[in-house]
Amino acid sequence: MRKYETVFIADPDMSDQAREELFEKVKNIIDKEGGILLNFDEWGVKKLSYEIKKKLRGYYVCLTYGGTGELVTELERNFRLSDLVMKFMTILITEHVTEESLKQDAEQFKEAAKQAALATPQEEDQEGADEEDDLDEDNADDQDDEEETESEPAEESKE
Amino acid sequence: MFKGHRGGGKNRFYQRRKICRFCVDSSMEIDYKNPKALKQFITERGKIIPRRITGTCAKHQRKLTIAIKQARQIALLPFVGRPLN
Repeated sequence: MRKYETVFIADPDMSDQAREELFEKVKNIIDKEGGILLNFDEWGVKKLSYEIKKKLRGYYVCLTYGGTGELVTELERNFRLSDLVMKFMTILITEHVTEESLKQDAEQFKEAAKQAALATPQEEDQEGADEEDDLDEDNADDQDDEEETESEPAEESKE
Repeated sequence: MFKGHRGGGKNRFYQRRKICRFCVDSSMEIDYKNPKALKQFITERGKIIPRRITGTCAKHQRKLTIAIKQARQIALLPFVGRPLN
């Protein structure tokens, strides 16, 4: 068995009922093809970096599962047929995994989800703010580096 | 060792040695699901910044390029970004 991760972008404007049906269908496919669903992570509506089907937002879902290549082809075939899925991407995480290790992974995901639920929303906001600060600093560093390298060719020409 | 220090004369040029950020901080993971972190390694136009500028080591740059391309695929990063002005 192999461990895969699939991210798909669903239509953000679909009804809650349609969304539930779609997710149920995806889970059923994984079950039917003998896969083990490890984590079903809904990132929610996010802004897209570029337009997909004339839409600027998308509903992101990230699936982590163990299964075979046939499962992936079946899953992707269904994504292609569905109008609700705008885009998808599957990535192989590990080749040759045993069912036992997959079960352990599933438990780890469950615990992580529990801890995330326990964390208060206030703390999350603070963390987000910190990250942004870091980004700004790093960007400043990058610019410095660029200036230095730009001056390098000029240096050589003088010599 | 300073790469830019050549010969004598007035044109002495010192360059700060670049260090791979991922080697220094092992907690920093390269993951396509984290576009915020990857954004530091692309230009405003969306191009991947070469490692001669960022100082990333070869091993991490390879992982980085793959992660950036994966993030582009699922619209977390742009293929073509907008310039600032």
